[in-house]
Amino acid sequence: MATDATRTGDEPRTGDESTTGDPAASTTVARDDLFWAWTLLGLVVVVGLAALTRYLEQNVPDWADGTAVEDIGAAVEYPVYAILLGLLGNVAVTLLGWRGRIAAAFRTEFFIKTGLVLLGASINLAVIASAAGPAIAQAILLISGVFLFTWWLAGRLGLDDKLRALLASAVSICGVSAAIAAAGAVRARREQLAYTASLVIVFALPSIFVLPWLADVFGLSDAVAGAWIGGNIDTTAAVTAAGALAGEEALQIASIVKVTQNALMGVVAVALTAYFTLRVERRPGAARPGLGELWARFPKFVLGFVAASVIATWYLDATGADGKAAIAIVNDLRVWFLILAFVSIGLEVRVSSLREAGWRPVAVFASATVFNLALALGLASLLFRNFSA
Amino acid sequence: MTSDQPPPTPPTAGESRLAFNEDWLATILGLALLALVLLGAIPAGLVP
Repeated sequence: MATDATRTGDEPRTGDESTTGDPAASTTVARDDLFWAWTLLGLVVVVGLAALTRYLEQNVPDWADGTAVEDIGAAVEYPVYAILLGLLGNVAVTLLGWRGRIAAAFRTEFFIKTGLVLLGASINLAVIASAAGPAIAQAILLISGVFLFTWWLAGRLGLDDKLRALLASAVSICGVSAAIAAAGAVRARREQLAYTASLVIVFALPSIFVLPWLADVFGLSDAVAGAWIGGNIDTTAAVTAAGALAGEEALQIASIVKVTQNALMGVVAVALTAYFTLRVERRPGAARPGLGELWARFPKFVLGFVAASVIATWYLDATGADGKAAIAIVNDLRVWFLILAFVSIGLEVRVSSLREAGWRPVAVFASATVFNLALALGLASLLFRNFSA
Repeated sequence: MTSDQPPPTPPTAGESRLAFNEDWLATILGLALLALVLLGAIPAGLVP
């Protein structure tokens, strides 16, 4: 899906390949005769690590039963295995010189979006309807606040307007997807997209583990914890991983909040297009973006997420308890796609692009993340305090 | 950044379209799998 001589904008890992000195990576730019063979090998790696994750998730509790690590064995869940195995796989394929060649198979965004559509089937429509109000309110306040803070701080540190737009979109909306949308809107350079995406992933990785832990330390309810995780962690895959660690209800609320933010991505992208076209670049004769542009930038998987919830709610109403077995199978499929996404996250991490970005984007991103953390906690505590489906 | 780096190029409009096509693909695949399960074409034993 992704790779030709010019590479696609949704492949941030490749944008810096020519600058890293990584011989494996530098071989990926052109699509040669072996492109599909390498991509197939990449898929085997991703699916193999996912299968190993599933195997460990299902068997480690039994193996640890009655031993000193019994509690740990029972507590460690699939996102942890998937990300750790992805990171180990990352080291292995880098050492083998394969990483750049097989990178087209690391489809984190595709896997997570398919997983989220399937997740919609396990969320009753009533939960989405109840959470929609506070989720939309939180998303609007959080996106506005964090975007403006990041834009302002990046300006104070003298960053280029296009990089400011990418960083602000990535931190405030939904990580890599938002950075891609913003890059298209402001016509950012590929290397700017590459290190923004790297920042997203490097910052998301620890937050997957830290936020569920902090939610527990703070004694947050499942709904508030989910809303906090959904509003704070940038990339949708990491939100789902953290939500899964925090519990099923937290996962559902986190997903609804994140999907709401995703839905607002189109609005921000259109606003950025208008701002850069009419104010920053002042292109003569440029037309104001209209509703068509809004629809073009709307993340369509959100429709699938809601449709799956509508279908499953209707199905359960029609079949009663008998239908739950079918939804359990859908949940297993969902876990498979989430595992594929988490493995891909581990495989995608490239710390080297952060060195190339310099300290200022990293400082902006870190400060914006802390600001996001505090604002999201306040909003989630306020808006989801008395939440019940 | 090294000196032999190619001149920076902006992403093209086609790149954005590709990213959003992935959205439709995920939606279609997710709903198709849901339909197959609900219709009984994917039994419990098939998903490890």
